[in-house]
Amino acid sequence: MLLAEEGGNKIVEALHELNVQTVVSIPKVGPFDFSITNAVIYLWVSAAVVFLIFFIAAKRSKREPDKLQTLAEIMLNFATGHLTGQIGEKGRKYYYLILTIFCYIFITNIIGLIPKPEVLKPYTPTANINVTFSMALVVFLITQFQGFKRHGARGYGRAFMTPPGVPKALGRPLNIIFVPVHIMGEVFKPLSLSVRLFANTIAGHLIILVMLGLLLQYANIIILPTALFVIIMTAFEIFIAFIQAYIFSLLSVVYIETAIYAGH
Amino acid sequence: MAFDAQTAANLGAGIAMGFATIGPGIGIGYLTGHACEAVARQPEASGDIRTVFIIGMALTEALALYAFVIAIILLFVV
Repeated sequence: MLLAEEGGNKIVEALHELNVQTVVSIPKVGPFDFSITNAVIYLWVSAAVVFLIFFIAAKRSKREPDKLQTLAEIMLNFATGHLTGQIGEKGRKYYYLILTIFCYIFITNIIGLIPKPEVLKPYTPTANINVTFSMALVVFLITQFQGFKRHGARGYGRAFMTPPGVPKALGRPLNIIFVPVHIMGEVFKPLSLSVRLFANTIAGHLIILVMLGLLLQYANIIILPTALFVIIMTAFEIFIAFIQAYIFSLLSVVYIETAIYAGH
Repeated sequence: MAFDAQTAANLGAGIAMGFATIGPGIGIGYLTGHACEAVARQPEASGDIRTVFIIGMALTEALALYAFVIAIILLFVV
């Protein structure tokens, strides 16, 4: 308590990177605030980077691939082969959704990790629950749409009830337990998906920023171990950025796949 | 220093984070150990094992992160 009062200022200052700052302010329309913040700008930047990588690679594609084309092809093969190998032929049109989700999260995380001067108003969009939840919501909507489209309302509803093979006299009353549990499971899928990505990103940034704040505050005592720790944590965060993008896209594949093959 | 709501929230955040790391710690240790065992027994299956290992690790780690979110809510919102 005393520490924070006397001079924890630099630590608090370092944490300002986690604040959303308004860049261009637009008057509110009803309850909605459409002002352009630094989070929105970094979202646009990462979207532009993903778009440009694939657009330029597709424009310049030739027999002997150059560096950019190799990168794009590796990513595409990763998404179509490794990631969506489980969906199979029925989910072929979701290859590109999964590829986009993977590239977008990865690039957003990496851009957030690059140290930036104060002028650019640094921010990591994936450290915001709104961003991750809207991405998870898209996956959720696609999952439910696939379930209803492939099996119809009756067939998909059967996936929420007692599994076949249970005697009817026992199955009917057991539905009181089975249906709410299955619906809760479906609702918690996007929640856990979004909280996982959000919490991973914000936890990594918090650790790095607090350590940097300590470094600035008590520079004369513990400079070497703290600096080393920050460097190691940053390297670890790059790994985490990849893993989280991979997990998010892989779990999306698994969820969509369960809806496509529901009841089997 | 009086034991008010803010103090209780700070204390709760610390306790939540501390207890929440126990389970995932055991889980990740168990997972890594068994993944090592599996790779040692069948090195040719290391690719599949790695995929399953990473998924399992992320799912386990998420449990600690849920508590981390609760701790942040306790610290900054309550």
